[in-house]
Amino acid sequence: MAELLQYTITGITVGMVYALIALGFVLIWKSSGVANLALGQLVLISSWFTYSMLVQAKFPFWFGFILVILFALALGWLSERFVLRPLIAQPILSLITVTLGLGYFLEGVVTFIWPWSVDALPRLFPTEPLRFGTAVVSQEYVWAAVISLILFGLLTLYFRYNKMGIAMRATADDQLAVQACGIPVTKIFSTSWMFACVVAAIGGILMSSIGGITYGLAETGLKSFSVVILGGLDSFIGTIIAGPIIGLAENLGGGYLTPLTWPGVKDIIPYIIIIIVLFIKPYGLFGEVRIERI
Amino acid sequence: MKGKRFLTVVGVLFLALTFAALPFISACAPAPTAPTAPTAPKPEDQPLKLGMTICMTGPAAEKGSPMGHGKLDCIKYINAELGGVNGHPIIADWYDNGYDTAKQVTLVKKLMDDGALFFTNNDSKTMQASIEIANSAGFAGIASFSSPICTNPPKHIYAQMPDYGDDWAAFANYYMANIWKGEGKPKMALELLNNTTGYGARDAATCLADSLGIQIVDVEEHTTTTISEMDAMTRIKALKPDVLFISSTPAPTAVVIKNAYDLGMYPGIVIGCAHASYTKALVDIAGAKVTEGVYGVFPTVNWGDNVPGMAKMTEYCQKLHAKDYGNMDYITSWAEALIDAEILRLALENSGYDVLAKGDATAWAAVEKNGIQKLDYDVQGLHGPVKYTPGDNRLDKSVRVFQVVNGVITPVTGWVDAPRIPYEKFPDKFPWAVAK
Amino acid sequence: MGLPCGIHNYTYDEDMAIIRTKTHWALLIGLFVLLFTCPLYLSNYWLSVTNLIGITIIAAIGLNILTGYCGQLSIGHAGFIAVGAFTAAVLTSVFKLPFLVALICSGLMAGFVGLIFGIPSLRVKGFYLAIATIAAQFIIMWVINHLKITGGFLGIAVPHASIGGFVFRSEASQFYLIITIAILCTFFAKNLARTQVGRAFVAVRDNDLAAEVMGVNLFYYKLLAFFIGCFLAGIAGSLLAQWTGFVTTEQFSIGESILYIGMIIIGGLGTALGPILGVIFIRLLQQVLTTILLPLVEAAFPALPAGFASGINPILFGGIIVLFLILEPRGIAHRWMLFKAAYRLWPFSY
Repeated sequence: MAELLQYTITGITVGMVYALIALGFVLIWKSSGVANLALGQLVLISSWFTYSMLVQAKFPFWFGFILVILFALALGWLSERFVLRPLIAQPILSLITVTLGLGYFLEGVVTFIWPWSVDALPRLFPTEPLRFGTAVVSQEYVWAAVISLILFGLLTLYFRYNKMGIAMRATADDQLAVQACGIPVTKIFSTSWMFACVVAAIGGILMSSIGGITYGLAETGLKSFSVVILGGLDSFIGTIIAGPIIGLAENLGGGYLTPLTWPGVKDIIPYIIIIIVLFIKPYGLFGEVRIERI
Repeated sequence: MKGKRFLTVVGVLFLALTFAALPFISACAPAPTAPTAPTAPKPEDQPLKLGMTICMTGPAAEKGSPMGHGKLDCIKYINAELGGVNGHPIIADWYDNGYDTAKQVTLVKKLMDDGALFFTNNDSKTMQASIEIANSAGFAGIASFSSPICTNPPKHIYAQMPDYGDDWAAFANYYMANIWKGEGKPKMALELLNNTTGYGARDAATCLADSLGIQIVDVEEHTTTTISEMDAMTRIKALKPDVLFISSTPAPTAVVIKNAYDLGMYPGIVIGCAHASYTKALVDIAGAKVTEGVYGVFPTVNWGDNVPGMAKMTEYCQKLHAKDYGNMDYITSWAEALIDAEILRLALENSGYDVLAKGDATAWAAVEKNGIQKLDYDVQGLHGPVKYTPGDNRLDKSVRVFQVVNGVITPVTGWVDAPRIPYEKFPDKFPWAVAK
Repeated sequence: MGLPCGIHNYTYDEDMAIIRTKTHWALLIGLFVLLFTCPLYLSNYWLSVTNLIGITIIAAIGLNILTGYCGQLSIGHAGFIAVGAFTAAVLTSVFKLPFLVALICSGLMAGFVGLIFGIPSLRVKGFYLAIATIAAQFIIMWVINHLKITGGFLGIAVPHASIGGFVFRSEASQFYLIITIAILCTFFAKNLARTQVGRAFVAVRDNDLAAEVMGVNLFYYKLLAFFIGCFLAGIAGSLLAQWTGFVTTEQFSIGESILYIGMIIIGGLGTALGPILGVIFIRLLQQVLTTILLPLVEAAFPALPAGFASGINPILFGGIIVLFLILEPRGIAHRWMLFKAAYRLWPFSY
């Protein structure tokens, strides 16, 4: 019974970390319909920049954090301006491939500037874990969960009530109509990429605190695909709810199935969930069902 | 278009002539240089080519990059200060394989074409992709990080250091001799990375656990990108093991140890790590407090130990790649370059430069027979002595046990021998070990 | 704009011919002569690169049929190649079956697995299907890793291909084997586009609802596309297995899958020439950056610490892909067709 509590708490907190990364993905999809395959590399380069600020330049945390946010904004603006904007209105496959090229490029930049490729951020959170009854959870996960929720709240409010947010949703729906209304579509893409990079940067700081800065950060995007599919590609609330569900499935499923089957079953559960969800509810729990007409 | 017909005919003729001439163009050797006065050629003009494939970029860059730096710095040192091998400079013919096996296959063939005398590689995944080609061509290769398949059955691939199975065996030996004070069989849990690094330990345990008197109670698997192993550790905690052995890379190992610490398992049980993860990066990521007292095996010394080779290596590291100071992978490949130079020296003395200069199959065979297989070298104390014994393609057969004390990795033993694991005794489990 | 000025088609056969004029035939024969005399003047290294290109072309043609002709986005192609590779490995090294049997069986096995993972295509489209194929890749990799017969995590050694006693040991013999199969596959794909099946694929890609209304059986044709695409991937996989000599699952990562998508997009989606050009471009770019450019840069600055330039490789690689897509989003094949049209119409190139 104690294990059940442990698995549950771990599942929910780990799932919130996945949801945090997935938020960046959903943000770009929701405002421009582009699948950002370079998300992992954006997380990676933001983490390294944080390392640069905090360890190499030895700035205090708050100052370094602000610099990281500014860097993420600049990175998002540059990526959108030089890589995505020339490809507006091209087929979606070209856009996906160009984000792939961007990913390789960023990876090369990271190898060039920080060739030693594994390092750690200074201790940002205390090491003592929190206790919930018999279960323990490390403080980094709790912080990640709290920050995910805050970001989710901010983003939802922004998209619902802020003029720019509503314009973003409109652009995702119908670019031509938005242009007819006089809204600059290019500005909207810029803003959404900048926001997504900031979310990726925050996600990167949290993930680096948990597992260090390694190349593995670039693969985190793949894990969050399952969250994104389950929740719906264009829904924030879907992401926040699907994240813990995937985390729970991983930990509970992994926890109870592993002794019965093979070790490592836990790694395959998110992908099996993807296939099942695609059969039953293809657009995810909260995704918008696209009605197609000839 | 006027003259289009003419242009077409000219174009086709030109193309046809080019196609016809291609075989002849490439068959022409470069024009021989005018012969100088027939004096004995100076050794400085007779370089020895050493082939290297290094994963400087890509997913394994965290190990490949410092290892590449170590090797190349050492070659620079040998050429600059020792005048090369008996006066012959070493050319490091190196390529970055990006941890990509298809690229590695083509690069090994490139090295063979370039006339390299043998090649070295620093990770097991790309080495496994090269063994077939190297073995069928007779092109000897040395793997810094090896796996049992590379050296069993023994052919032309040699391992610079013991592999992950040997790590387990050495640690298990040490644990039973020095740490285990209870009665009966201690219970061991394995946390493995989901590739040959991790499963090497399990295979060794399959072969030797019973004879050593250890009971393996649980085998858990994780990925390189894992951020939480709480579920696996919870399961392990319920089984109340005495020792946990982790065979993985630094980041997931850090996650596992942190989770064990959070669950209150550690300090309490004994934790041992294989050498792939036991580096300064592990202590940095997990934190000195959490990793205090964690054991690990590593086949080389640590920085700052008093051995003959330490001074020059530290000097070059600080000068050229200061950020790599403290990283034991640098030591591994600096040592490997020293071993390569020793191999070239032995081959040179036993076969003569003319045989080696050809850079073809006879040269490769000469380097292997008269160089690698005659090795008996102390590597200036940087790791265990390398000596070739027939039937065992591992060159260095010993490791050292370390422990994290106050955030610093300190040695607790001298060189502990890692005996050769008899995989061929279990042909149904390890069919690859049986010589065909 | 497909034919030079002055060439008219008077019969159905002439209209349907792939190679229509004498110039076409001459160029084709010239190309074959050039190709088949390659081993005479290419070094072992460049031959191995050509072999790698040949194997990749076969897989890329499969992916092109699936994604380019039928519009089913699949980012899990490396998984299907792995199925083919491991099937061939197990059949030739454990069961000691002849190579040709293993070749066909690996194609069939990969096609069958592709069928299973193609079933979601009946429910979802576009990027959702892409994620399903990514999941398929991970599941396939996991299953292969945990099966005893495929050697688990260590992998299997694969003997060289042998047909009727002749073992393809040297690079040149491998070249002939691979090029022959690649040419056959190209021919197959080119003809597929002209048949009823090919037209149904294109209809499904352009607007599957309209195609269904017209009477194209979506279920059948989508699954057939997956089967054919993955069959070719399986064949490529078995050739890759015996070329490398040793297969492990780590050789077939998600990065490879994404690279294949990049190859066919840069080459030109939905054309017969596209996959060939895209594969040649990307593979040559990889090799040139690794073996020529990087050592050159390193040698030019001997004072700088070694390995300083290793980051340049991915920077240039990604940068060239991005630049390419910005300048020519429809791929090299499209550029080539524009060039051909301009050549034919010069000086009136509109």
